[in-house]
Amino acid sequence: MGRIVGGIGSSHAPSFGPVYDKGQQKDPMWAPLFDGYVPVRAWLEGLRPDLFIIVYNDHGNQFFFDAYPTFALGASEAYPQADEGWGKRDLPDMRGDPDFSWHLARSLVEDEFDPTICQEMSVDHGVMSFMPMLTDTRWPVPIVPFAVNVIQHPVPKARRLYKLGQAFRRAVESYPKDIRVVVFGTGGLSHQLQGTRFGFTDPNWDNEFLDRLETDPEPLAGLSHRDYMERGGTEGIEMINWLPMRAALGPAVRRIGRTYHAPMITGYGLLALEPA
Amino acid sequence: MLDEISGAAVFTGERSRAGYRLNRMAMSLTDPANREAFVADETGYLRGIGLNDVEADLVRRRDWKGMIEAGGNIYLIIKIAGALGIALYEVGAHTAGMSLEQFMAQRKGR
Repeated sequence: MGRIVGGIGSSHAPSFGPVYDKGQQKDPMWAPLFDGYVPVRAWLEGLRPDLFIIVYNDHGNQFFFDAYPTFALGASEAYPQADEGWGKRDLPDMRGDPDFSWHLARSLVEDEFDPTICQEMSVDHGVMSFMPMLTDTRWPVPIVPFAVNVIQHPVPKARRLYKLGQAFRRAVESYPKDIRVVVFGTGGLSHQLQGTRFGFTDPNWDNEFLDRLETDPEPLAGLSHRDYMERGGTEGIEMINWLPMRAALGPAVRRIGRTYHAPMITGYGLLALEPA
Repeated sequence: MLDEISGAAVFTGERSRAGYRLNRMAMSLTDPANREAFVADETGYLRGIGLNDVEADLVRRRDWKGMIEAGGNIYLIIKIAGALGIALYEVGAHTAGMSLEQFMAQRKGR
């Protein structure tokens, strides 16, 4: 049977990638953030993971509003990088594990989650921006991307995502192979990209979210979209993508690493947990 | 359903419907050949892809605030800015009713 051996929550942002590519991790503006990824990366490598499930959101790159899936599950051998409108970074395609993806599809549908299943799928900065900070960019560990609609309302409720994480755990534990799985949740934290509050971040809310996600996550599933958007900005609704990661780990967790930094117009967070 | 929160548009189905052509045009700019064609002949490109005069005018005037009000999704609209070499900060500041300089000055004051 498979086992969930860790969970990582991380922000994603287009700004990340180029900073990393230029080797500016030690730039004073960015170092407090990038430094936090170093020990988490070492821990992740030590876990000897076989698979990453990554709950993220697309930003109008793989999917458009002609047919925008609420949940989309990658089931491909390879996930190329999307051109988001300003060219691609020099990164190879990410590797997939279609056997596991189809198992996950069957298990989720059995659990009454019905994702769109994608046999061709590109991934944007929602996945590609932070992953180079956590793993080799030859991508030694295959991924299963799981896209959640958080940009065209109505978007799924926070509680639905919490339950999705619990369903991930059942899927992993019912897999016939002894694989070690790490679940990722990515988005946010607080940010507001348009309107009179453009540039808004709230470190207090972001840190409260990180505290509660670690120690008492269930009530976060009870918050409304209005709660998330008032406290974390309209685009901060992405924070609900972290809930499946946390729910997949089960009730008790041990914290491996946590970092928070808000140098620009996004509250960047990193949280690494393992089942206690 | 919420349509606006704390002075920002919530991208609802209604907005998505209203801004469909505008967002579709923005999405087309994920193709480098389309970006080139757009930059080379903005008016022709916008007409060719089916924008009406009002929508095309919003793009030509770089009216980011107007594009959001017309149903543009911020993640799509920034692709138009990207093709034109305009940064997110300038777009965001405009949607807040400010120039980039005003926005940066305001942030320094914090």
